[in-house]
Amino acid sequence: MPVSYRGSLDRRRFLAASAGAALSAAALPGCAASVDSGSGSDSGKTLTVMAKVDEWDAKGKKEIEKTLGVNLRLITYDVTKLNAMLSSKNPPDLVRGLGAMEAPYFAARGLMTDLDPYFAKSEVLKPSDLADANDVWRYDGEKQGAGPRYGLAQDYSQDCMLWYRTDVFEEAGLDLLSETEPLSMDELLDIGKRLTKRRLGKVKVYGLSAGGSLTSFMWMTASAGGRLIAEDQASVDFSSPEARKALQWYIDYAKADVGPSLVNPNPDGWDGPTYQANRMAITTSGHWFGGIVSTDDKLAEVSRFAPAPQLGSHRVSPIFGGTGFWIPKDANNKEAAWKFFEWYFAGAPAKRRLDGGWGLPTLNSMRPKLPQKTALQKQAYAVQEKELPYISVLPVSPYAQIDALNAILTKVLPDAIKSGTAVGKVADALNSRMNEQLARGKELVG
Amino acid sequence: MSTGQLTGPHAPASARAADRGTSGRRARVTLSRRTRRDRAFYVFLGPWILGFLGLTAYPLGYALWLSFTNSDGLSPNTRFIGLANYREVFTDPDTLASLGRTGLFTAITVPLTIIAGLFLAVLVNQPIRARGLFRTLLYLPAVVPPVGAALTFKLIFDRDSGAANGVLDLLNVNGVAWLADPYARYVLIMLTLWGTGNVMVISLAGLQDIPRELHDAALMDGASWWQSFTRITLPLLSPVLFFQVVTGIIGALQTFLPLLIALDPTPKGVGSVPESNNLIMINVFAQFFANSRYGYASALLWVLFLFIMLVTYAVFRLSKGAVFYSVEPEQAKDKATSRKTGGK
Repeated sequence: MPVSYRGSLDRRRFLAASAGAALSAAALPGCAASVDSGSGSDSGKTLTVMAKVDEWDAKGKKEIEKTLGVNLRLITYDVTKLNAMLSSKNPPDLVRGLGAMEAPYFAARGLMTDLDPYFAKSEVLKPSDLADANDVWRYDGEKQGAGPRYGLAQDYSQDCMLWYRTDVFEEAGLDLLSETEPLSMDELLDIGKRLTKRRLGKVKVYGLSAGGSLTSFMWMTASAGGRLIAEDQASVDFSSPEARKALQWYIDYAKADVGPSLVNPNPDGWDGPTYQANRMAITTSGHWFGGIVSTDDKLAEVSRFAPAPQLGSHRVSPIFGGTGFWIPKDANNKEAAWKFFEWYFAGAPAKRRLDGGWGLPTLNSMRPKLPQKTALQKQAYAVQEKELPYISVLPVSPYAQIDALNAILTKVLPDAIKSGTAVGKVADALNSRMNEQLARGKELVG
Repeated sequence: MSTGQLTGPHAPASARAADRGTSGRRARVTLSRRTRRDRAFYVFLGPWILGFLGLTAYPLGYALWLSFTNSDGLSPNTRFIGLANYREVFTDPDTLASLGRTGLFTAITVPLTIIAGLFLAVLVNQPIRARGLFRTLLYLPAVVPPVGAALTFKLIFDRDSGAANGVLDLLNVNGVAWLADPYARYVLIMLTLWGTGNVMVISLAGLQDIPRELHDAALMDGASWWQSFTRITLPLLSPVLFFQVVTGIIGALQTFLPLLIALDPTPKGVGSVPESNNLIMINVFAQFFANSRYGYASALLWVLFLFIMLVTYAVFRLSKGAVFYSVEPEQAKDKATSRKTGGK
C-alpha cells in the first residue's frame, strides 16, 4: 500500500509556506503605511521622534510625555534609517534636521508636511514673530527661502562668525579682533599663520579652523560678489572669478597647514574639544558655540566673539544650520507633533535653551532675553546684535543632498592641493562632477 | 516448527493476516516516526529558511530590480533604465579604481593574515611555559570589536596628537600624517592584521588534530623540522588553510574597515576616507547614502556578488590537488563506495 504523506509537511509545501511568510513579512511595512493616520487607538498616544541619541535624558523624556500626554518613542537619528522609513511611508512623527541643508531636498520630493495651516491656527507660534532665519525651512517648489514653511529652527546662528582665544593672541603679541569691523579673509589667514604653533611637522596649536564645505564656498563666493549655485539651482559654477577666488583662498589655507582641512581633518571630528583643550586659537562657529564656551569659566574668560570675515566687498553672514524639527508628510500623529512644536519652540524648552546660550532664539520676541550676566555673554550679545543685519540664507539645491556635493569636494580637493593643480582645473573638475550629480537629481525630481 | 511460527508467503492465511496487522502497525509506527522526524527537521530548519528568504533572497531580488532603475529611494520619478547602471559600473574610472584597490588589498592581506596566523599557531603549539597565557594574549585583539579597534587606531595614528607620532617625536623625527594618503593604506593593513588571532585559533585547532606519531616517525626517519612541517603539517593542515583562504578572500572583498577609521563614519563623512582606502564597499556605501544613487549602488553590489562567486569558484578549481583531506569528503566517499559495489 503506497504510503500517504497527506497531512504531513512535505518539502515543497514547507518551502512554499516559508516563501509566503517571508513575502508577507516583507509586505507588512507597506500595509502599515497604508493604514490611515491617527485612527488607531495607539497611534494617537504615541509620538515617534527621530532625534540625537542624547537629545533628552530620562527626565526630559518624562517631561515630554507628561506635558503632551503621549508615549514618547525615541529613534536615534540615522539618515540611512530615515531614508528607509520615508521610502516605506512609515516615517517618524518628528525628525530632527538642519533646515539650511536638508529642507529643499526633502520638500522637493514631497516628503515634508506644509506647516502653514498649523501656523495659521497657532496661538503661540505666529509667523510674524518668527526670526528670518526660519526662512531656511521654506521652499516654494523651486527655491529655498520662500514659500510654505516645512519646519522650524530651535535656534540659529550666523555660522561664519568667529570665536577666538585671547590668551593665544596675547602670547603671539597680536591685537584682539574688532567687535564691529570684519576681517578680510587674507587678514584672517595671516593671523592664523601667526597663531599656529608647531613642532617637528606636527601642529600643536591650530591657528585657525575654516571652511572646506560647499556652504563655506557658497558664502565666500557670495562675499566676493558672485554666486556658486545657479539661479535655477540645477548647476554650480566654480569657474567664475569669485568662486575661483574662494577656491584659491581655501587651497592657500590648506597648504599653510594652520588648521584642520580636507587634507588633514581634525581628529576630534569638530572644533569644540580642540578649542576647549587650548589646541585651537580661532574657530569659525556661530553664536551657538557660546554654549560650549560658557560651560567652563576659565575658557569663557579667555574667549571672545567676532564678526564673520569677508572675502570681497560684500558683507554676508549666513546661516548654515537652522537646526530644528520637521514633520514628515506620512507621519501618523501630526496633531501631537504640532503640540510638540508649540511646546518645544515657544515653551519651557525654548527658555532653557535661551539661558544656555546655545544660539539665537527662533522667536524674535525672545531675543532680548538672551543671557547677559557674564562679561562674555554681554560681549557676545553686543557683537551678535550688530551682525544681525547681514544675515542671509544662501539657498542650497534641492537636486542633491549637500553631503553628496561635499563628498565631491573631499574627493577632488586633497589631491589638487597636494599636487598643486591649477585652480582653473580644480574648478572644472568640481563643475563636471557636481553638475552631473545635480542633473541626475533634477531628472528624478522633475 | 509450528505453522503458527511461520510468516511470509508460506504461512497459513490466518498467520498471514496476523502478520499484515503487525506490519501495518509497524508501518504506522514507522510513518509516525518519520513524520515526527520530518517535522522536527523543518522546525529546526524553518527559522533559517525564513531568514534566508526574508533577509537574503528578498533583498537580493529587490536590489536586482533597483539596479535596473535610477532610484534614489525617495524621489517620485524613478524609472527603468535597463543596463545603464551596469554599463556605468564597467566604465566609471572611480569604480574601476576602487575595484582595483580592493583586489590589491585582498591580494596583500589574505596571504599576510594566514601566514601570520599560522606562524603564531605554530609558536603557541610548542610546549612552552605559560602557553595558555600567550594564546589568550594573542587572541585578545581578535575579540575586540572592529569599531573599538578602529577607534584605537584612529587615536594612535592621528598626526597631531597620536601615540605613533609621539614616539617619532621622542626620536626627534618629523611626524607623519598616517591617516591621510599615502600612509592610510598601511594603517588599514595593520588594522586588518590586528585580527590575526582568529586565523591563529583555527590553525591551532588544525595543528592539534595532526597525529603526533606522524612527526615522531618522520623524526626517526631523520627528517628535519622544516621537512616535517612542509611534508606532514602543511598537507594535513591544507583543508583548514583552504577554508581560511576562501573566507578570507570573501571577507577582504567586503572590507568596510576604512569607514570605521574615517573621522566621521557616517554617510556625511564617507568622503573623508582617503583615496587609497576607497575600497569597493566604501564606494557602495557612498553611492547609497551620500549620493542617494540606490540604483547604481545596487548594480555595484550585484557585480560584487557575482565577482565574489566567480573568485570563490576559481579558488576551488585552482585548489584541486593542493588540498589533502585525511577523511574523504562525504560525496567522494559515497561515489567510491558505489564504484566498489558496482552500483548494486
